[in-house]
Amino acid sequence: MVDAVSQPVRRPGALKRVLERFPFLPVLIIFVALLALNGLYQPRSVSLVGLTGLVKTYLALVLLAVAQTYVVYAGDIDLSAGAIVSLVNVVIVSVMAYLGDGTFSVLGAMVIGLLVGLACGIVNGVVVAVFRLQAIVATFATSIFFTGVALYVMPVAGTPAPATFWRTYGGRILEIPFVFWLAIVLAAILYMLARTRLAMQLLAVGDDAQGAYQSGLPVTAIRMRGYAMCGLFAALAAFCVTGDTASGDPLVGGAMTLNSVAAVVLGGTALAGGFGTVVGSVFGALSIGLISSVVYFIGVPSEWQNLARGAAILLALMAGVLVGRRMRS
Amino acid sequence: MSAVLDFAKRPLVVAMVLIVALLFVGNVLSPGFASSQQIMRLLIVAALLGIVAAGQNLVILGGREGIDLSVGGVVSLSAIVAGNLMSGSDAGIPLAILACVATGAFFGLLNGLGVTLLRIPPLVMTLGMLGVLQGLLVVIRQGIPSGRAAPALSQFVTQPLLFGLPGIIWLWIVIGIVMAFLLARTVYGHRIYAIGSNEQAAWMAGVPVRVIRVSLFVLSGVFAAIAGMCLLGYSGSSFANVGEQYMLPSIIAVVFGGTSLAGGKGAYTGTMAGAVMLTVLQSILTTVNIDESGRQMIFGATLLVLMLFYGRGRAMRA
Amino acid sequence: MSKLKISGVTKVYGATAALSHGDLEVDAGEVHVLIGSNGSGKSTLCKIVAGSVKPDSGTVVLDGKEVVIPGPQGAKALGIGIFYQELSLAGHRTVEENICLPDLPMRGPFVDRTALSERAARYIALFDGVTGDGFAPDVTVDALRPDQRQLVEIMKALATEASVLIFDEPTSALDRAQAERFFDILRRLKGDGRAMIFISHRMDEIFAIGDRVTVLRDGRTIGTMRIDETEPQAVVRMMVGDEPALAAEAAPTPIVDATAKTTDVALSVRGFSGQGFSNVDFEARKGEILGFGGLHGQGQSAVLRALFGALPVSAGNVELSGNAHAPSSPRAAIRAGLAYVSGDRGRDGVIQGRPILENVTPIHYLRDRLFLARPSALREKAKPAMDALNTRFAGFSHPIGSLSGGNQQKIVIARWLIDRPGVLLLDDPTKGIDLSAKADLFSLIRRLASEGLAILLYSSEDAELLSNADRILVFNGGSVTRELTGETRTRFNLYEAAYEAV
Repeated sequence: MVDAVSQPVRRPGALKRVLERFPFLPVLIIFVALLALNGLYQPRSVSLVGLTGLVKTYLALVLLAVAQTYVVYAGDIDLSAGAIVSLVNVVIVSVMAYLGDGTFSVLGAMVIGLLVGLACGIVNGVVVAVFRLQAIVATFATSIFFTGVALYVMPVAGTPAPATFWRTYGGRILEIPFVFWLAIVLAAILYMLARTRLAMQLLAVGDDAQGAYQSGLPVTAIRMRGYAMCGLFAALAAFCVTGDTASGDPLVGGAMTLNSVAAVVLGGTALAGGFGTVVGSVFGALSIGLISSVVYFIGVPSEWQNLARGAAILLALMAGVLVGRRMRS
Repeated sequence: MSAVLDFAKRPLVVAMVLIVALLFVGNVLSPGFASSQQIMRLLIVAALLGIVAAGQNLVILGGREGIDLSVGGVVSLSAIVAGNLMSGSDAGIPLAILACVATGAFFGLLNGLGVTLLRIPPLVMTLGMLGVLQGLLVVIRQGIPSGRAAPALSQFVTQPLLFGLPGIIWLWIVIGIVMAFLLARTVYGHRIYAIGSNEQAAWMAGVPVRVIRVSLFVLSGVFAAIAGMCLLGYSGSSFANVGEQYMLPSIIAVVFGGTSLAGGKGAYTGTMAGAVMLTVLQSILTTVNIDESGRQMIFGATLLVLMLFYGRGRAMRA
Repeated sequence: MSKLKISGVTKVYGATAALSHGDLEVDAGEVHVLIGSNGSGKSTLCKIVAGSVKPDSGTVVLDGKEVVIPGPQGAKALGIGIFYQELSLAGHRTVEENICLPDLPMRGPFVDRTALSERAARYIALFDGVTGDGFAPDVTVDALRPDQRQLVEIMKALATEASVLIFDEPTSALDRAQAERFFDILRRLKGDGRAMIFISHRMDEIFAIGDRVTVLRDGRTIGTMRIDETEPQAVVRMMVGDEPALAAEAAPTPIVDATAKTTDVALSVRGFSGQGFSNVDFEARKGEILGFGGLHGQGQSAVLRALFGALPVSAGNVELSGNAHAPSSPRAAIRAGLAYVSGDRGRDGVIQGRPILENVTPIHYLRDRLFLARPSALREKAKPAMDALNTRFAGFSHPIGSLSGGNQQKIVIARWLIDRPGVLLLDDPTKGIDLSAKADLFSLIRRLASEGLAILLYSSEDAELLSNADRILVFNGGSVTRELTGETRTRFNLYEAAYEAV
């Protein structure tokens, strides 16, 4: 029998369409509001110096949030992202310590670091996509393993990174802080990555893995590539951590994992997969950074700062989820 | 034959066999590992994890990606609250119990309300709550000297109480019996499975889905708070973030016990075995003479191998 | 030589054989219809050809060469495209992205958006004028109506340009104009020499578009006939086999027994409006089976669900035995004595993976305000309800998944019978269950009515409605447009009222 559907036509509202295209709008608003608050309480914090400091400190989290986004696209999660940061950090610091201070040494170490990150990502991809273990527990297990390897490479924190490395990271080129150049390069890379087949395929897998498979997409390989991307970006995050802290620490990234997940959610990406943007994650990570500085500048007593920060992040997460849903429906 | 195979495939049986095998391996590597005294110590540590995992188990059984990442924060907070209220005296115990349970219930309630009323994904809600709890720890520790456990509490956790078993083991056994009864023989238990298995069908059959889901998070908070108090008794005094070590292991214990992370399937008896298994494994690794890095690598790799025994995801091509 | 030849294909899931012997031969340039009742193995057979289900045995010969289909990707490479009944779309992707998703046009390392739009536009243009409001290449699929999504899945299948195309119930949500357009396309593809497999439940469609028909029953291929050498009755006979025809249909039309019926009104509905229905008025008396008829999706289901508190109500008065009833939630409705059985048992009924006992008791828990679940007492309570429906099951502790679809539905219905409700709402309760289960269900419904229950029955099968309902309200465009009673309850009147323009 013919189905003369009697449902009213749902014409998507203009706002909904804008939000479908730019799902990071809510976090952008949060980001601007936080920036304004910062400027209000401490005008210097929005000066060039203040912003340089913010980017320098939080570029690592930004990159890790981007890393996390690629796996979350497909409905997966990577709880080992922070451990990969630690591992790459100690590996490159050790390599540079071995090869000495020099451009060749730094570049060589970075290539090795990227390979290590990629390898970790592939390991995660294998256990989650090929062995079909639950992502949340399997990547927790690999995080323990990666931490073990990091401890093997460098049992105690403290080996310094060569001066070339952190001086460059903290320095300026053509009067513009190096980290801003990095940010520009990152923006270009993210723009290009968003136009690749992988981004669309990951999102399609996150939407409906079975449907994607039945459409002829190589779902297992796509999820693996998502984890590989995550490993690579985690390695990039480790470079920033190394530039910022100027030393090796086998546990440095551990605390960053959950923040990267929070940044992704804050950026409007659905943890269930299929929907989101890396731009949102970038601003999500920066917002987490700004929350910390607002809490500081607003004059919260030092022992209350963690609580204020935690509560503000929780509220921002809740607001992000609610606003995103309200505006989309 | 197939009945035997089915039996051998049950998660509880798998966990039991693995526990015995691990004890055997431990005893070979370090003679005396499986002595009764050592096993008692292991069980005390396992009980702490097992009590946290009880709440985690309930939340996961309730489905809709149920998970509680804030348990570690509640454990730490409860240990500090209890320590500060007792400050080494038995007189403070009743008040401490009350305060801890109330604290756990309160944060569980917040989680539950966020998940049900505002429909925040549990992972996000409890992750955010973890941040709040960690902040609160700093505030509470500030100014007040770190509290100490009441002697009676320490005795309850570490010294034999009845038939040579310490009180905490008895507590764990009671919790195990209550949980088994709750899940198998009460309407509440059947409703937990129903919402975890098919929330829509449960709702259509008149199950108060939201109320039950909130109650699961409250119970999770309460169990974590109880574990926090016991942890204080075990270690004597509270220190920073003692609970963090329970966050993900409590989930792993549940998974090793055969509960599906998708909800609606599993039972607490398996989780208890999972907690013991995890504890024995960790204990073996601390006993044998290798450095921390090797220990972590072996632990991580072993967890992965063990996970292969449990609910792997469905293949795309059936 | 056949384009595609499948022989002796089998697929077993656990204890149930989805396909015990599948044979099929399709020629280039033909539309080959596959027909069979629910669960006869049609979809399984299609999915095996499309690579998404792995057969246990059997051979597939393509262009005279035996092939092994390694998966959907491999099937695509072999030139096999498929429309999935359950659709394979990514909800957050746009229409054009979905159409091209299996094979994205690339320029260097990047997706070529221009080529993507152009390619998608070619397939969207095929349905120009019938896609309906709100359909656009850059709209996300989850913003579309069911019929529009189905069109996207069709376009996606067509975009594979495969030489073998499989369509598994592609027209179930389409309106007439859309379906006609689709058939035009099929005819053109036939001219191009494509081999097509087409599944539909509608005889008129099958005879309009098909060249040959293959009938499946209980997982076996029964036979193949040329469409122009057969007739619908012959096809139905092959589908049904030796099983008796629907018992209820064979039974004489229910006689309105004045003595058994009371005039007590059990349910009275006035000005009832909500999403998908408006201004619905009716009364249901105790002992009466009140049928809801008409085309799919004219508000019948929505009214039943709204009465049960599962859908929001915007206006109207409902009285249960004279007492006002505000349907706020299923929980409240159950307490007020309403019962609701959904045809979508997988979504609304069955608690998967749990024992039969837990599946049959939830209503009893609520109505008796129980706290403890004592299995022995519960088994005793549930047994009569299960027996009333001739439910066949091994034991209460077995998982519900071990039962057939029909028996699962019986369990879901039995949960309402432990404590007798006042009004029973049946929302297409026989969807996807076998004939004997249907017969058991309808004989029970008649008995319940004679015991004084008021029953509201919506069925998508008109025969069921005509032979079981005492009175039929025909729904059209969300309102009741005709009431058929006594002698006027004929198929002709039902169709006339259902198809007339509102």
